[in-house]
Amino acid sequence: MEVSLFQAAVQGFINLLQFKVFLALLVGVSIGTFTAVAPQGIGMPLVYAMLLPVVIRWEPITAIALLIGASSVSAICAAYLPVLFGIPGGGGSQATVLDGYPMGRRGEARRALGASFMAGGMGCLIGTFTLALAIPLAKPLIYLMGSPELFVVMLWGLSMVAVLAGRHPIKGLIAACLGLLIGTIGQQSQSGIMRYIFDQVYLLDGPPLSIIALALFGVPSALDLALTRLGIEQQPAPLQGSLWDGIKDTLREWALVVRCSFVGVWIGIVPGLGSQVVDWLAYGHAAQSCKGAHETFGKGDVRGVIAPESANDAKDGGDLITTLLLGFPQGVVTALFIVALLAWGFLPGPEMIKKNPEVIYSIVWIQGIAGILGTLVGIVLAKELARLAQVRYSLMVPIIFMFLLIGAFSVTRDPVDLLVLVIFGTLGYVMKRFGYPRPAMILGLVLGELMERYLYRSMMAYGFSWLLRPGVIILLILATVSFIYTLRGRLAQWAAAKVPAESASG
Amino acid sequence: MAYSSTLHFIACLFVVLYPLVISIASVWAQTPFYQGKVITVIQGREPGGTGDQRARAVTAFLQKYIPGNPTIIHEFMGGGGGLRAANHMYSGARPDGLTIGSVSSGMLSSSVLGNPGVKYQTDKFHYLGAADGGGHYVFYTRRELGASNLERLRATPGIRIGAQSVGHSNYNLGRLAAFLLPLKDARFVTGYASPEIDAAILRGEVDSRFNQSHSVLRNNPEWVEKGMMDFHVVIEIPKGEKNPRFAKLPELETFARNERERQLIALQRGFRLIGSPFILPPDTPLDRVKILQQAMTKVFQDPQFPAEFKKMVGDDAEIVLPEVMDKTIKELPRSPEIVDLLKKIAGPEALPPRS
Repeated sequence: MEVSLFQAAVQGFINLLQFKVFLALLVGVSIGTFTAVAPQGIGMPLVYAMLLPVVIRWEPITAIALLIGASSVSAICAAYLPVLFGIPGGGGSQATVLDGYPMGRRGEARRALGASFMAGGMGCLIGTFTLALAIPLAKPLIYLMGSPELFVVMLWGLSMVAVLAGRHPIKGLIAACLGLLIGTIGQQSQSGIMRYIFDQVYLLDGPPLSIIALALFGVPSALDLALTRLGIEQQPAPLQGSLWDGIKDTLREWALVVRCSFVGVWIGIVPGLGSQVVDWLAYGHAAQSCKGAHETFGKGDVRGVIAPESANDAKDGGDLITTLLLGFPQGVVTALFIVALLAWGFLPGPEMIKKNPEVIYSIVWIQGIAGILGTLVGIVLAKELARLAQVRYSLMVPIIFMFLLIGAFSVTRDPVDLLVLVIFGTLGYVMKRFGYPRPAMILGLVLGELMERYLYRSMMAYGFSWLLRPGVIILLILATVSFIYTLRGRLAQWAAAKVPAESASG
Repeated sequence: MAYSSTLHFIACLFVVLYPLVISIASVWAQTPFYQGKVITVIQGREPGGTGDQRARAVTAFLQKYIPGNPTIIHEFMGGGGGLRAANHMYSGARPDGLTIGSVSSGMLSSSVLGNPGVKYQTDKFHYLGAADGGGHYVFYTRRELGASNLERLRATPGIRIGAQSVGHSNYNLGRLAAFLLPLKDARFVTGYASPEIDAAILRGEVDSRFNQSHSVLRNNPEWVEKGMMDFHVVIEIPKGEKNPRFAKLPELETFARNERERQLIALQRGFRLIGSPFILPPDTPLDRVKILQQAMTKVFQDPQFPAEFKKMVGDDAEIVLPEVMDKTIKELPRSPEIVDLLKKIAGPEALPPRS
């Protein structure tokens, strides 16, 4: 007998009212918190792989509470490393380092963490709310975006280099091109052609993005600490801000949270995108749309923390839309979640909406509750963890280097990982020293591979006729307008900066 | 007298201790090699994926069937689509029976087709079997294409066949189908994850694909029940592996015109049949190889294994016993002519003309 969606939603909530479910949720929250502060290699895929053999023997709702609790909280609490150590967090929290770390160095680590957890929690709730609403609407959303449309979106994303380049557009362009070039290393998956591998098996997949990001941002941060011989919050500036300030900042910027959360949900829904782009696109959007962002972003603007964190956590809701409603996993974690659902006898996809809507709603409720719990845990722990920022540099620098080395080595467990860390760490330091924007390089690296894939698929599937698709035309117009708008702002800004300089010299 | 009592004492001691010494020595000799030892499974992939789950599903059972019940731990060596781990198993891992490789399904095809980066010889490894070998694949097109039967399919020009990447088994099967059926000016669109191909079919970005039959029946049963896709041809791996829902469809080999084309299909079947094999390094002591092969066989014959495997992986186990795997690899057709033809079919260039 089929039930109405309202009845299913109520039943889904009633299913949760058991002690063991809440206990499992709390255990999941603890696991997620540990994963968030652990070095990069201990990510959610490994946690799911280890938990799965155990939880598939449990009663489904209890097990789902554990799994969803862990993954939600892991995403919400991912800002510790970027803010406290200047080390990019796991996928989806890398852009947080751009403004989170300068805030930490300015004595505002607590404020940055407060904003991050609040934004993450709100993003998670918006993602969950969208998931609940999307149950009857998911299919058309997904089929609307083909490879040509995705290519244009990636192109649009690449235009954000103009934003991320700050006051150095040429240097930004050079950095982005360098990223695009590095992205071509390895076996081109569509054609099988080997590019710049020099007969090295390691290079078949290209240098790992996570190590490059770790090296570009983490190594210069650690070197800076060592050279300035100060703890993060031991700068000459007095300690300012509190967790509560960060929470208030986020509430004040609610419109930004909503916009970036929808960016996150959308990226979660579309098959093939994912956590490696969500934070950068949200950050780019914020840098494009926030007032005065061109002057403050990258220097410790709290909005630069709010944007990527809200998008990253909202993405989980989008992921679940595609996973639960269509049965398409959006990554390793959701693929394993599908395995668990199958083991319990649920078939993700349209069948599940018909036969087990109450389970879908239980997942929605768990996701929402986990979001709230994650925010609370993050805020409580942040008080203690933020003290790390006051530790002397002589203790901090070795800790950061340990995190960097473990994080890099655990990516593929190849000694060459450490060499890559050193090479890109040096490059990062040189780029920082000479004002080449590192985010532009990461954006080129991340988007280059995706753009190539979508362009290849578009050409193979449609020839040049993909350029005439209505979706492509609309998105191209939007991208062009957005680019011109940004460029105009930039030109006006440069002109304004030039006039006082000239009048001062004249 | 004293001498006699000493002798008596020694004799008594001998009588008492001899059986004890013998029994201790005997127990010592019978202590299984693997007792108290740690076996490391080196997985040629990143942790957490389906491949990892498959390996763990097998090793969870393996421990109890190895005499001495050793501890089994997993290490990961991703990179190069599993090449790095296979190279390491060939020349880096110690051949002491305590290191097992769980490598990718491409290890055999990469070697036979002479792909770059291969630094191992497949004949030198010892094989322990796999739980994901073979399978039953079906080729289907979207209903809107109008290719409701083979004649119409052959008459439709420019069919777009979706696949993961050049060289992936689904790509190779699609190319083989286009070559053997034959299909007119078929185009190959790659760069998708498996579920993405189905989404691309539904939105009309590609027209067709090869896919595992049980995946279609599990994920999209309505495609079969409501006729939302047209199903054309199957390939059985190993030959004779039937799926009752697609029993009426022709097998790809029925379209082969000569022995050369049959060998071509046999080679591709062999590549897929071995699944993601468990292997031991060359020169591993044969007694330890035998112990592990016997233990693996017992795992695969355990009546509880299929259900547990399905629970952990989400797919049915497709068992390949160690001796079957060994035989498959040894009997693989490797004449340069066949290998060269398959290289062209599995490559990115246009399909070769059919002779």
